[in-house]
Amino acid sequence: MSHQYAHPDMLVSPEWVEQHLNDPKVRIVETDEDPALYFLGHIPGAAEIGWHHHLQDQVSRTYISVPQFEALCSKAGIANDTTVVFYGDNSNWWACYAYWAFKLFGHEDCRIMNGGYAHWKAIGKPMTTEVPSFTPARYQAHPIDQTRIRAFRDDVLAHIEAGHKLVDVRSPKEYTGEALHMENYPQEGSLRAGHIPGAHSVPWATAIHPDGTFKSADELRKIYLEGLDLKTTDDIIAYCRIGERSSHTWFVLKYLLGLPNVRNYDGSWTEWGNLVGVPIVRGNQPGVSPR
Amino acid sequence: MLEKLEQLVAELGELDRQERIELLIDLARTLPPLPDRLAEFKDAAHRVPECQSPVFLFPEREQDTFILHADVPPEAPTVRGFMAMLVEGLSGAPLQEAVLVPADLIERSGLRELLGMQRVSGLHGVLRRVRDMAIRMAAEPPSV
Repeated sequence: MSHQYAHPDMLVSPEWVEQHLNDPKVRIVETDEDPALYFLGHIPGAAEIGWHHHLQDQVSRTYISVPQFEALCSKAGIANDTTVVFYGDNSNWWACYAYWAFKLFGHEDCRIMNGGYAHWKAIGKPMTTEVPSFTPARYQAHPIDQTRIRAFRDDVLAHIEAGHKLVDVRSPKEYTGEALHMENYPQEGSLRAGHIPGAHSVPWATAIHPDGTFKSADELRKIYLEGLDLKTTDDIIAYCRIGERSSHTWFVLKYLLGLPNVRNYDGSWTEWGNLVGVPIVRGNQPGVSPR
Repeated sequence: MLEKLEQLVAELGELDRQERIELLIDLARTLPPLPDRLAEFKDAAHRVPECQSPVFLFPEREQDTFILHADVPPEAPTVRGFMAMLVEGLSGAPLQEAVLVPADLIERSGLRELLGMQRVSGLHGVLRRVRDMAIRMAAEPPSV
């Protein structure tokens, strides 16, 4: 078995990024949890694309429209054939989320910079506060059939009834359902605690080193393929609380391990934990599907 | 009451998105470092669990005055700026005023708009804890 990632080109190193800072075919994109972080300093020439204020609709809980996405790319100087390299804070949570959203709109060439913002900074690579402006590019989106990489709540219900696999990437306490019972501070967002029946707990950070870079292909295979007995024929859904940490695991499963059928459930626990009538399991065992 | 805090909230609330980000970055720079005597207590007991960013709170009292120390990493400038606003606006205020810290200041300062519904709950967690700590202190007689 090869010691390589399944799709090694989808992950680029900071060195690769540094060599392509002035490459007109490459656009570096920072996507952060914290909307102010980009303005404190970023990779020279990087565009800022916010998960919330750029990629999400500001009224409904969904993504921007196709024309809005085309305008966003155009403004960031991203053409259909541009290589878009995402990086960001929190070990690339939102970078992976933006990557996934770009895939929904059919962008061909997306990459992740290994280690994200913190790693780039820690190894002393150049940063600037200068906000670049880009020559608008022509962009025409070709959205994919969303259901290939995105699961909606009814898809999840069908998935658990069919006994397919799920990965819950939240913290162990969120998985067991203890997290809603902490002191007098009920977390906002969900009325019920626990996990989706049949889901296995593998917190997202299991996939990375302390510096935020991804673990080796061999280590990842041991954690996911052996640990959860995942096979290339399996239909898999990953989820977390709002879909960003699960984008990170989605990237690992799909591109680093090469599992073809992985979907991100972006409704995640803030939807499932509030839905009326859906099954929920408490405790540290995956539990069984309702039928 | 809490004039300094209200001033900052009003100022943030009036700005557009980019100006608001810049003011938060400026505020974040003003958050005083934790005193050495507190720095070693950055543990789970002082962390705000609702917040994705590692936020540590150390409320104290001096007679009838509320004192707030806090630590937020520079890599979370929005949360750090928010914290700096609370420290600047509340630390040094009479306890009886600190307990009245308004629950809607996050909305009024435009932070919900900036962070989005899903992420603003961490800030509500911070605010609730600060207020509850002040209430608990105000209920106790000052130690001699």
